[in-house]
Amino acid sequence: MDRALLHELRAILGPRGLIEDRTRRVAYECDGLAFERRVPELVLLPADTAQAARCMRALHDHGVPVVPRGAGTGLTGGATPVEGGVVIGTARMRRVLELDPVDRIARVEAGLVNVELSRAAAKHGLFYAPDPSSQRACTLGGNVANNAGGPHCFRHGNTTRHVVGLVAVMHDGEVLDLSEPRVDPLGDDLVGLLVGSEGMFALVTEITVRLTPAPQRVETLLAVFDDLDAACDAVSEMIAEQLEPSALEILDKLTIEAVEASVFAAGYPPDAEAVLLIEVEGSDAEVEANSAGIARVLERRGALETRRATGDEERAKLWAGRKGAYGAMGRVAPDLYVTDVVVPRTKLRELVRRTTEICRERGLKVANVFHAGDGNLHPNVSYDRRDPDEVARVLDAGEKIMEVCIEAGGTLSGEHGIGLEKQKQMHLYFSPADLDAMERPRDVFDPARRMNPGKTLPIRACMETRTRPIAAASSDPAARRASPDAAAAQSTSDRERPR
Amino acid sequence: MQLTELVDYAKSLDCVHCGLCLHTCPTYLLTGNESSSPRGRIHLMRSVAEGAAEADADFAEEMDFCLLCRHCESVCPSGVRFGRMMETTRAGLAESRQRPHVEQLARDFGFGTVLPSRAWLSMLAGLARFGQRLGLDRAAAAFLGERGAPIASMPPVPPADERRPLPRYTPAEGEVTGEVAVLEGCVMPELFGRVNRATVACLSAAGREVHCSRGATCCGSLHAHNGERALARRLTRETVEAHEALEAEVGTALPMVVNSAGCAAHLVEAHEVFAEDDPFVPRARAFAAKVIDFSRAFDGEARDRLAARLGRGPARRVAWDDPCHLCHGQGVRDEPRALIDLLPDVERVELEDSEACCGSAGVYSLARPADAAGVFAPKRDAFARSGADALVTGNPGCHLQWHAGLRAAGDDAPVLHLAELVAERLTPTPAGDAR
Repeated sequence: MDRALLHELRAILGPRGLIEDRTRRVAYECDGLAFERRVPELVLLPADTAQAARCMRALHDHGVPVVPRGAGTGLTGGATPVEGGVVIGTARMRRVLELDPVDRIARVEAGLVNVELSRAAAKHGLFYAPDPSSQRACTLGGNVANNAGGPHCFRHGNTTRHVVGLVAVMHDGEVLDLSEPRVDPLGDDLVGLLVGSEGMFALVTEITVRLTPAPQRVETLLAVFDDLDAACDAVSEMIAEQLEPSALEILDKLTIEAVEASVFAAGYPPDAEAVLLIEVEGSDAEVEANSAGIARVLERRGALETRRATGDEERAKLWAGRKGAYGAMGRVAPDLYVTDVVVPRTKLRELVRRTTEICRERGLKVANVFHAGDGNLHPNVSYDRRDPDEVARVLDAGEKIMEVCIEAGGTLSGEHGIGLEKQKQMHLYFSPADLDAMERPRDVFDPARRMNPGKTLPIRACMETRTRPIAAASSDPAARRASPDAAAAQSTSDRERPR
Repeated sequence: MQLTELVDYAKSLDCVHCGLCLHTCPTYLLTGNESSSPRGRIHLMRSVAEGAAEADADFAEEMDFCLLCRHCESVCPSGVRFGRMMETTRAGLAESRQRPHVEQLARDFGFGTVLPSRAWLSMLAGLARFGQRLGLDRAAAAFLGERGAPIASMPPVPPADERRPLPRYTPAEGEVTGEVAVLEGCVMPELFGRVNRATVACLSAAGREVHCSRGATCCGSLHAHNGERALARRLTRETVEAHEALEAEVGTALPMVVNSAGCAAHLVEAHEVFAEDDPFVPRARAFAAKVIDFSRAFDGEARDRLAARLGRGPARRVAWDDPCHLCHGQGVRDEPRALIDLLPDVERVELEDSEACCGSAGVYSLARPADAAGVFAPKRDAFARSGADALVTGNPGCHLQWHAGLRAAGDDAPVLHLAELVAERLTPTPAGDAR
């Protein structure tokens, strides 16, 4: 690393703000996609937007690539360092700058942990709706980068529906202040463009979000099934009947076993093949009508038992179990690969089966824990990164899963983003013209391609391996987008901001 | 040195990198540096074992920086035994690295000479008291600068009378409900003789006959935490043997009541200090099963008996601060609160983030006063917000840290051990006679 740059960064960041020694930098070599690793040249931990801007300016002057990082909980390699590049972490920027309970708006720094925002809002009877399973660790900046979801986004929508303003540092250190909350922006919706841009447009340092009033009543149900298919069918039927729970999650047997062995043991019955975790919220009348409808579906679909959480403590426990599921899989193998695909909800049963088969055919251990209501599947594949053959089989399974889901009318990502993991598969879903269009705004924000380079958009050489998207081949894209299934499937990965 | 000795490689594979531990970690919260988080430290350990990183000075510094509070274990869905891994790595580092000569001498003297010896501990306590009375402590603190901060904020060493040892046998008051042993400890009798006496008084009031062995001094927990593995094994073994001797003398199995959370957390896993094939393991395991924290010593009948002996005391609004090695190390959270709720004239308020470390961490606050103060800062703020007028804890290290931390912030709220809070409400004779 250039001496002049080092000198400048030390002066900006102070002793604990700059990590130079290689040993400590090793801790930043990957995010949740453990088989993609590279030790960054430096790690910068600015304390506020002003410091971040000065760092970005210095890095610009020296032409150094930048990878933004929140808590490193991403699952697609979005925060994997790049060759010759530095990591800028937001971990020291975690203040709530402003919380207006009347306007129900909060302005926070990008490194604030998701759950801390809800904790601060709870004092005013409010909460922040997107609740990724990693919410006790992941940062709002990371949520913005990936347009994160979570169980309750079924009702409330992904991150993009809740972000109303941003402050971002551009590639050259210029501060773009879009923090004034605007529900209907004049001119171009730059905030909407930045949400879900996976750190390729700018470094987001502050975020203005909408807070949601806590519902009058919440009902949490746990339905127990002796068959995963039946649980899937129950979900499809609830959707068809227009029952609207706020969350609708399925956990299968292997997941239940792992969770029940952990500190987050939630009391899921260990002999069940699957459980369906359902939350209903709203006014008393709404909750009762919805719960009654749901109970009828559960009974028709052969639920062995339906438990109702009796209080906040039991509710919290049921959810903690669900949200600890990823970590609990560490009991099965050292590494976990979590696929993230969205499928039409009429086809849950067959696609859950198919994805499970794909893994089993390759000798892989798979657990299913997913946002069933959104049709957002997460086959959790356990593996050991030290076994190159197994890693190859995992990648192959992931690719195959994406293929079949897209063929069935689904999409590539519900909430984890594309990162490095799904780059190649972008061809399956988008035409070269689509990809060209996506390159253009990137050139506007980052002409030198120094912001998280090599992520998301596939590198297209002269010879392209796949030029024709599968979905386009199987049906007319316009017709596909118009169908209600596909619309539902897209809702979670929607990058636009319907206002 | 074999890398496998430096890192418990098998345990490092239990971590699936989910990151749920990050925001429980005091050093990560202090720095925002991932290599100062449990996930990061495990990643470094694994990288060292796999040859992808060096066990260099930076590595050692990150391992030393950890407070070993084990908060991460309480939230780890994968069940990573971080505390055990850190002890292994510190033991490996202690054997392989060169510390500055003076630092090494101080460590050897403290861990090897003072802590295991009642005579040394008593003599130093006497000297400290003498020094404090002459004002030498303030002079020494001023001379040492930042490193002297713990000396300046140390509570006065109590007079010799309070430092006298516990009686070997204390009869039960009233009808006998059972027999127990108490661990007198190493530093406890020198600085917190009153807590030891309060512990015995509460047990006796609850109808327990209380035995106390003289056969051991330090239980070895501080040694285990700081990589002094050989000494930790020796002292743990002595503690187990002393308890066995006491049981033989009394002629019955005795639960071991411990009023220091750090020691109890170590002793409930006493067998894990030894190599798996050590023939002593079964004896240590049998002993470990008998160890209980003070707050758990009052069940059923004993609890009713104690309740009947409680009378009025100073009105207090207290906040219970969970010692890390009680809540994370032993999973004990409800019992201390239940005991407090039993007390007349005591209102209990919850302390925000009461399971977060206060920065004491055994000898950490002596070795790294600036970091310890940084970790303590949010605790002090939480206490101020809680509206409590007294802080209650169950561990001597936390006791000292809170005492010093509050005083440094100009707050003279009393800091009490749970046993003291209970004992100050004990009526002189069984309530049936007194009222």
